[in-house]
Amino acid sequence: MIRFDNVTKSYKGQAPALDDISLEIQKGEFVFLVGSSGSGKTTFLKLLLREAVPDSGSIWVAGRDIGELSHWRVPYLRRNLGCVFQDFRLLPNKTVTENVAFALEVIGRPRNVIVTQVAQVLELVGLGQKGERMPHELSGGEQQRVAVARAFVNRPLVILADEPTGNLDPATSQGIMKLLDRINRTGTTVVMATHDVGIVDTMRRRVVELDRGKLVRDQARGVYGYASDMTTSTRGVPAVAMAGNGEPGLDRDPSSGRVAAVRARRGQR
Amino acid sequence: MAVSFDYVAKETATNLWRNRMMALAAILTVAVSLSLVGTALLLRQAVNRQIGQWNNNVSLQIFMDASASGGQIANVRSTIAQTPQITHCSYLDHQQSYEQAKRLLASSPTAIEALTPATTPTVFRCQLRNPSEASTVSATFNSGVPGVYQATSPSQSIRVMQQVTNVLQIILLVIAIVLLVSSLVLILNAIRMAIFARRREVGVMKLVGATNWFIRVPFMLEGLVQGLLGAIVAALIVLLSNFGVSYLIRHYKVSVLGSAVLPTHDIVMTELLVVLIGLVVGVAGSSVAVRRFLDV
Repeated sequence: MIRFDNVTKSYKGQAPALDDISLEIQKGEFVFLVGSSGSGKTTFLKLLLREAVPDSGSIWVAGRDIGELSHWRVPYLRRNLGCVFQDFRLLPNKTVTENVAFALEVIGRPRNVIVTQVAQVLELVGLGQKGERMPHELSGGEQQRVAVARAFVNRPLVILADEPTGNLDPATSQGIMKLLDRINRTGTTVVMATHDVGIVDTMRRRVVELDRGKLVRDQARGVYGYASDMTTSTRGVPAVAMAGNGEPGLDRDPSSGRVAAVRARRGQR
Repeated sequence: MAVSFDYVAKETATNLWRNRMMALAAILTVAVSLSLVGTALLLRQAVNRQIGQWNNNVSLQIFMDASASGGQIANVRSTIAQTPQITHCSYLDHQQSYEQAKRLLASSPTAIEALTPATTPTVFRCQLRNPSEASTVSATFNSGVPGVYQATSPSQSIRVMQQVTNVLQIILLVIAIVLLVSSLVLILNAIRMAIFARRREVGVMKLVGATNWFIRVPFMLEGLVQGLLGAIVAALIVLLSNFGVSYLIRHYKVSVLGSAVLPTHDIVMTELLVVLIGLVVGVAGSSVAVRRFLDV
């Protein structure tokens, strides 16, 4: 579904925001993107949306090299990628229904399709009764549900979420995660950048960790925690790469389960 | 690309209303500048037509003394026949000359009362091969030909009039161009404000994959509507002032200016041109705004 081939992206005169990243995300996967601020998570998502273009390397989405897309086809790429943000980005002067319907209106869907799809998706996110409310009348969690509904209403192949629980309390965050999980079970790929330790630890999904633009960990069913935490003297060196350097108990294969490094880190606590 | 008409119409109307003060400023500036453009164009046409009329009828009038004898008149007639620059002449006798004077002086009855057919000078109205030779030809008749009171070439006064209208036209057009540029900038600014006011919507549109044109069209249409509304106001102003002038000319029977009343065809063409310029200014202003401030 998504493939990064040796992608490097740097902003003017700075160290690369992403440095030679290669990874592949299968259809239907749920992937957490973790890493401290400035580690390149947002750049990763921006490149997927083609809001930015990589300096080198190529990115494939749904079998297409998006670097090859002509300018006018970019909107059609974005129709396959639903986006959710920390700050919801709802339109304050539109009702819940209008906010969700807007996503379909502006891509020219016919009226009757909009009506049925919006009703369906609002039911899915549990806001079937609140369609006529304005965003400011809703709680943060409900607003984020509207944003998820808007991202999902067009049935995209991938949902990209940039810290969707960043503004929400833990209980509400759980609700959003259940929702994203449900959407994931419909076969939609979900890529979520997050700082939320609790969520990553309870969900036990694939975790991709970035540190200063480098891919330092890629675990199936991973937990939070920075690989770099335990290797402070060699920050930036991928924990996976170090696995062969005789670290006792370090799991060689990053995809076969939890990395021993994480266990070690937890033990230190 | 499926841009639904309903959607675009609704968006454009909402935007115009939300931004109505800026829109009004832009529309009025377009109206003022295009009124000047229209006036300048009509003035030019009227003057050209009127001058053409005068030049066709007469390039040279030779007024005889009221008391000139038949022999003197015959003498002048033969001189005219020998002058190659003159192509054709008609002679108005006392009665005809008096009738013409009455028509020309219709606006001042006291002047007519002072005239009788007998005291009105007879006149040769001549056409010249080339109107610019009028001054040389009139000079030969003014150099003491017996019985000739005065030879005048209307083109001397016409030339002054032409120059005055040319200058007036240039001034009007310069003002109009400056105003057109400022209305373009005003439209550009109005669209920029509209884009700014709707940056959230634009952000969401980009995110969910609205095409560039779908995002741009309502803004461009907004500029086009502003240009069009301004142009329509200008067209009405030009039309009304043209009616006013024509009415005055007819009402006071200013027959020397009879040809300055323009035919409907010319007015319609000018009005269409004014509307077209309005549309171009609107589209140009909004295109620049969309290109520079709508990052899609």
